[in-house]
Amino acid sequence: MNKKFWYLTKVSLNKKIKSKWFIITNVILAIVIILLLNINSVITFFGGDFDSRTNIIIVDNNTNASSLLKENLEASNTEDEERFKILESDKTVEEEQEDIKDDDIIIALENSDDEYLKASIISNDKIDNLTYQLLSQALNSTKTTIGMAVNNIDYDILNSISSPITINRVVLNEETDVDENMNLIMSSVFPTIILPFFMLTIFLVQMVGGEICEEKTTRSMEIIISNVSPKMHLLSKVLASNIFVIIQGVLLIVYAVVGFLLSTNMLSSGLAMPSEFTSIFDSLVASGFLDKLIYVIPLTLVLIVLSFIAYAVVAGILASMTVNMEDFSQLQTPIMLISLAGYYLAMMAGMFEGSTLIRILSYVPFLSSFVSPSLYIMGQISIIDIIISIVILIIFIYIILKYGLKVYKVGILNYSNEKVWSKFFKAFKTKDV
Amino acid sequence: MLEIKNITKYYGKNKAVNNLSFTVKDGEIFGLLGENGAGKTTTFRIIMGLIEANEGTVLLDGKKIDYNETDKIGFVTEERSLLTKLTVLEQIKFYGVLKGLDENKIEKELDKWLEHFNIKSYKNRKIKELSKGNQQKIQFISAVINRPKLLILDEPFTGLDPINVKMMKDAIYELQKEGCSIIFSSHQMEHIEDFCEKLIILVKGTPVVSGSLKQIKEDYGIKNIMLRGEELPIDEIKKIKGVISVNKVRGELEVKIESKEVAPKVFNLVKNKNITKYDLVEPSLNEIFIAKVGGIHE
Repeated sequence: MNKKFWYLTKVSLNKKIKSKWFIITNVILAIVIILLLNINSVITFFGGDFDSRTNIIIVDNNTNASSLLKENLEASNTEDEERFKILESDKTVEEEQEDIKDDDIIIALENSDDEYLKASIISNDKIDNLTYQLLSQALNSTKTTIGMAVNNIDYDILNSISSPITINRVVLNEETDVDENMNLIMSSVFPTIILPFFMLTIFLVQMVGGEICEEKTTRSMEIIISNVSPKMHLLSKVLASNIFVIIQGVLLIVYAVVGFLLSTNMLSSGLAMPSEFTSIFDSLVASGFLDKLIYVIPLTLVLIVLSFIAYAVVAGILASMTVNMEDFSQLQTPIMLISLAGYYLAMMAGMFEGSTLIRILSYVPFLSSFVSPSLYIMGQISIIDIIISIVILIIFIYIILKYGLKVYKVGILNYSNEKVWSKFFKAFKTKDV
Repeated sequence: MLEIKNITKYYGKNKAVNNLSFTVKDGEIFGLLGENGAGKTTTFRIIMGLIEANEGTVLLDGKKIDYNETDKIGFVTEERSLLTKLTVLEQIKFYGVLKGLDENKIEKELDKWLEHFNIKSYKNRKIKELSKGNQQKIQFISAVINRPKLLILDEPFTGLDPINVKMMKDAIYELQKEGCSIIFSSHQMEHIEDFCEKLIILVKGTPVVSGSLKQIKEDYGIKNIMLRGEELPIDEIKKIKGVISVNKVRGELEVKIESKEVAPKVFNLVKNKNITKYDLVEPSLNEIFIAKVGGIHE
């Protein structure tokens, strides 16, 4: 019997993995993920001005601050990237305006009795936020230096005045020890982590349901079920679909790693991470996010695998009740909506900190794998709560297998839409499959 | 040998099969007839272990049917039960392994059957690309790939032309010679008459006719006399006691009589006429079926 079980699992898995749609989907996923992680290079390749150099033309109307501004602007250029090419012009603003090009920005400096320095920024079109911020930062810095010189203020004194206050954050409850920046992390990092889980859940439901529905509608089910028990048949589908989504999940990670390596040129230039990634990584370490991940990853993986099993069992049982593919398309909608609700609850958990409802929902099967890890990372629940969610999920799987298999046994051989619910309620009363 | 003993199956309050019993010996071909919804499919499902009877037992070679016993059964369902996205080889391997066979053995056996049906080149073709007739052959091969002890054939000739029907009949006779017990169901009565030594006719789950084909025809009593000749005295024939009806069929006169004892009376009346044909023929199974099933409906 074991031989038949493994064979059914193998055939199910091969049917999915060797299909042209699996290959096409993965080619598209690989391209999309790698391109998204290398979006800068892609835009540049297609002639975008994402990284193109901007010419800054400084017109100084007797302020003598142009050299200082030039110095401050040059600080934005790095060894790898020259963002600004800075020119000090002898012409008037009007003359420069006549010759201005799309990549040119004119900064006109003027004296001011009240504010030490005034400036006009002139360009053909709107300039992007980052460039505007860098220009305004450089102008502010120039103005501060002029102000210091005029008022004889020492640089160290000014630095002490303007530096941000040092806050020593202490939270007495150890379980909720968390940086307030975590909400920001939750809204940016976590959705990226759970999105693939949501996607894989959809793949899983479609695989289990689609296969059972196909076997039913082609009447192959009668031949299959005459040789293996309905229980073995359903469990083989559950196992095959779980292996499939795990393979797909690993492939997604591989595409992301390849995209990351390409974006950082680590393939050619060694394993040095660029400054953007190191700064994100440093802030994650500082916030305690990574420390929490060490505990939460194994438990989340257990929750995810158990949730996959629960989703697969329910999808199988629902598919057994359908008589054609259209029926199944409609029946899988509730499952999709439940997982979608879990996805949004996980994202919104940070907005409703301390909510009892969200805490209760974190124990609910199907939702727990989305909500529990996010609540734990935000410090709203403890490891014990995640373990409780896991136990509840195991009990839930046991119950749906015990009663659902009875429905499955009746459903897979039922080809009529008449009195469907009555048939299935009667099935609950039958003896174990 | 298959033994069906007093099986009864209810769907809710509806009795789908009512106290059905029959035996199919090794190497015997048994006909299970009935109109649509008579309980044939339910009976097949009970034999295959797909559903349980409320009462009665099903034994194959003296053993209750479980998943070990179903490995020895082949089943050609009325509707094609093929996964059409698979190739012929994949499909046969799939069903073969589920019947406990080794993959290499399945392929060798498949080659023999494909050759028998002259479709060797279709081995690696997808089933959905095949014609209905060829799909039916694959369906048959999938049922016999395990050289079954019991073969259930539900409308096996659907979609086949006469040449392919003959090929399949030869295959069925070959299996019969090997000692396979065969249950045959069809609405084409001429096939049943060709094949079956014994049969049962079900009406609403209850057997109304059962026994050997010869005995059933004997018990039915009514016979037909086929006459061909000039100036046949139709009105006088109709007046003979025991003559049920007289009809013209394809240039001949069909005289339906209550029993063979009436035949000499008809012969005496026409013997001096210029007759070129006088045949006393058995009623067709089709006629018996309509009489028995139709009679109950009336």
